[in-house]
Amino acid sequence: MRRLKSRLLLAALLAATLAPGSTPLQNPEVRRIGKKLGCQCGCQSSLTECNMLQCHFADPARAELLRMVDSGQSEAGILKAFVDRYGKAILREPPTEGFFLIGWVMPFVATAAGAVFLWWFVRRKLRPEAAAAPAAELSSEAYARYRDRIEKDLAKLD
Amino acid sequence: MENLGALAVLLAFCLSIYAVLSSAVGALKKKPFLILSAERAVYSIWILLTLASGLLVYSLLTGDMRLAYVAGRTNHAMPTIYKFTAWWGGQEGSLLFWSWILSSYSAVVTWTNRRKFRQMMPWVIVVLMSTQCFFLILNAFVESPFQVLAVGKGIIAAEDGRGLSPLLQYWAMAIHPPMLYLGYVGFVVPFAFAMSSLITRQPGDAWIHTTRRWTIVTWLFQSCGIILGAGWAYAVLGWGGYWGWDPVENASLLPWITATAFLHSVMMQEKKGMMKVWNMALISATFLLCIFGTFLTRSGIVSSVHAFGVSAIGKYFVAFIAIGLGASVYLILSRLDYLKSEARLESVVSRESSFLFNNLILLASCFAVLWGTLFPVITEAIMGEKVSVGAPFFNRVNIPIGLFLLFLTGVGPLIAWRRSSLESLKRAFLWPSVAAVLLVAVLIVAGIRHFYALMSFGLCLFVAATIVSEFLKGSLAIAARNNMNLVRAMVELTHRNTRRYGGYIVHMGIVLMFVGFTGAAFNKDDTVEVGTGETFRLGKYEMKVREIQDGDTPNYMWQRAVVDISKGGEQIGTLRPERRIYKASQEPNSIVGIRRRLNEDLYLNFASMSQSSSDKAIIQAFVFPLVSWIWIGFGVLFAGSIICLIPPKVRLQYARTEVVGVVQKHAKVEK
Repeated sequence: MRRLKSRLLLAALLAATLAPGSTPLQNPEVRRIGKKLGCQCGCQSSLTECNMLQCHFADPARAELLRMVDSGQSEAGILKAFVDRYGKAILREPPTEGFFLIGWVMPFVATAAGAVFLWWFVRRKLRPEAAAAPAAELSSEAYARYRDRIEKDLAKLD
Repeated sequence: MENLGALAVLLAFCLSIYAVLSSAVGALKKKPFLILSAERAVYSIWILLTLASGLLVYSLLTGDMRLAYVAGRTNHAMPTIYKFTAWWGGQEGSLLFWSWILSSYSAVVTWTNRRKFRQMMPWVIVVLMSTQCFFLILNAFVESPFQVLAVGKGIIAAEDGRGLSPLLQYWAMAIHPPMLYLGYVGFVVPFAFAMSSLITRQPGDAWIHTTRRWTIVTWLFQSCGIILGAGWAYAVLGWGGYWGWDPVENASLLPWITATAFLHSVMMQEKKGMMKVWNMALISATFLLCIFGTFLTRSGIVSSVHAFGVSAIGKYFVAFIAIGLGASVYLILSRLDYLKSEARLESVVSRESSFLFNNLILLASCFAVLWGTLFPVITEAIMGEKVSVGAPFFNRVNIPIGLFLLFLTGVGPLIAWRRSSLESLKRAFLWPSVAAVLLVAVLIVAGIRHFYALMSFGLCLFVAATIVSEFLKGSLAIAARNNMNLVRAMVELTHRNTRRYGGYIVHMGIVLMFVGFTGAAFNKDDTVEVGTGETFRLGKYEMKVREIQDGDTPNYMWQRAVVDISKGGEQIGTLRPERRIYKASQEPNSIVGIRRRLNEDLYLNFASMSQSSSDKAIIQAFVFPLVSWIWIGFGVLFAGSIICLIPPKVRLQYARTEVVGVVQKHAKVEK
């Protein structure tokens, strides 16, 4: 009896579908656009990737997405419709406009600033004579020989 | 029993305060007995926390459902191993686990250095025990694992517990958190040595020499933790990803990145006496990011699948991070005189500046990850509007940074210290570059047009070629000189300078992992509804559902699709993706079927049964090219790190080519 009960429960739970009717994820467009939309159930995955049974968010949202794809709406139109309904947080990346642009450019600005700082630092730390390569001394034959010798020794050392 | 556990934690807390005070006063007033007493307090704390942890584990194993923690994290039907791992499966238990690891590390550090570094050690104890004290505050007063389920004034026992989240009932998950914690907590030790070297105004690099091995081991633990997490996500979460850029995943990556930068830049300090301030800043950042990572996981400030839920402990962490940050910044700034560089750069094209670039790029990626993780919090605070920063953002930003880093991995080690001539650069890089360009050309001809994938494959070959040529050059010379075969010579070469050649092997591991990451550009997937006897195709594979089984265990119910796989008309195997419903928590879980091969994995997930026709299963099928190379690459990285830890056969003298005096003399000549 107990076994039967758990079988029934299992059947009930496992038979829960991603949506009534056909499975939206069978449609490649749904899978592709779904990856750009975040599931809001707390799973942090995309609509395509949310793996919860009977997810209260992903299931109806996928069905809606399939309906929109089937009705021939463009990707931009679909994304806009989702944003209008659920807010910008439904998109899995910040919009590329206004304040949100900062989110996109900041990593590169910081890297560039770091590179500029590094350049300044390297120039400052360079030995004075290395920075202003003494051309006259280089032409001296004895100096050049000496330098070659050092280079060779250094190469061995490494 | 719970009273004994709580008492042990409370005593440990008191002792940690005592250890901090007694060690600091002992050091300031030069009272050796106070310092000795503080050391003994460190051992006592370990004993007390081992007792407390032992009691908690005992309660978990025996199913003492009077304890809220036990009832919330286990149930009677759970396998014993997961009852044990429930120690770190929840907020309170894992914080106790953090404390216990820290106390173990502290005891080991105190014991192994009991006759060394007599000036620094008291302050090492102060830093370690301050951190310990912070965590013990959480253990004792905020998130005690020994709380009982109480109704009115009586204690009640729940009939059965809720069980550990089924997602965590997986072997990799049993060891992933301890590995990460061993990493997180381990970075406290080099930080403690760094700070005590500042406090005691040590002019030398004693703290770096002492903690080098420690840092590598800790880094390795952290790497293991991260990769086990990735392996778990791949095998359990059912969508085939191994990295989701979830805030908590990012939190584990941040200190790993700064620690990687640190492991590179300490070489500058050891060999040239440069970058002292920078190394201090990096190890402090690593420590603070470890605490920050713990904070992100615990406080619920950002939503994450890994988070332990919203909790009030966030403010404690903020306070601790603020104190830690303030103290380390103050110490570094007030000791700048002791951190002066002993040498100058001689050329822009030198190993020194390649290290600087490597640090820049590592920190850039660290910043990008941190920025992306916190951007939703920032926009909500400033704009009042929430946005999401998910995988697409992180991939876009980090892929170019990662590729540049890969490039530097190849270039850096081959540039000579001090200065490199154009001729030597040409010698080192000509053939690797030619090989990389040829590979890219062949791939383009073969029809690959994905820009980043082409770049990545090209760079992987470039770096691999530079590493192989370094090994070959060295071992051929040894083979010729000592009349050995090449393999023997390679072993000899590695043994002579384990650090350098171990490092190359670690780099090779990274290259292989990048090969695996790049495979993601060619993933294929499909979702189908199929009944018994029906077939479907994905890529070269044809799959036929032989039967759909179901069953029951005390812990969960399951349903399984048995799918025969064929390729070109020939059967090549059978996969059995499974879906489970855990009884205690009523949560589902997938056990995916994976056919792992070096070129690609075939991955089947049994999503659920179809409702439109109840005899049909919904199967998600994926082909993941090259993904196995991530795990293989990690194995290579692991081996390389172990080699780095082996003492070299030839003791290398780091000939510091310049010391402060010489620089000053030089400057005078210039004037």
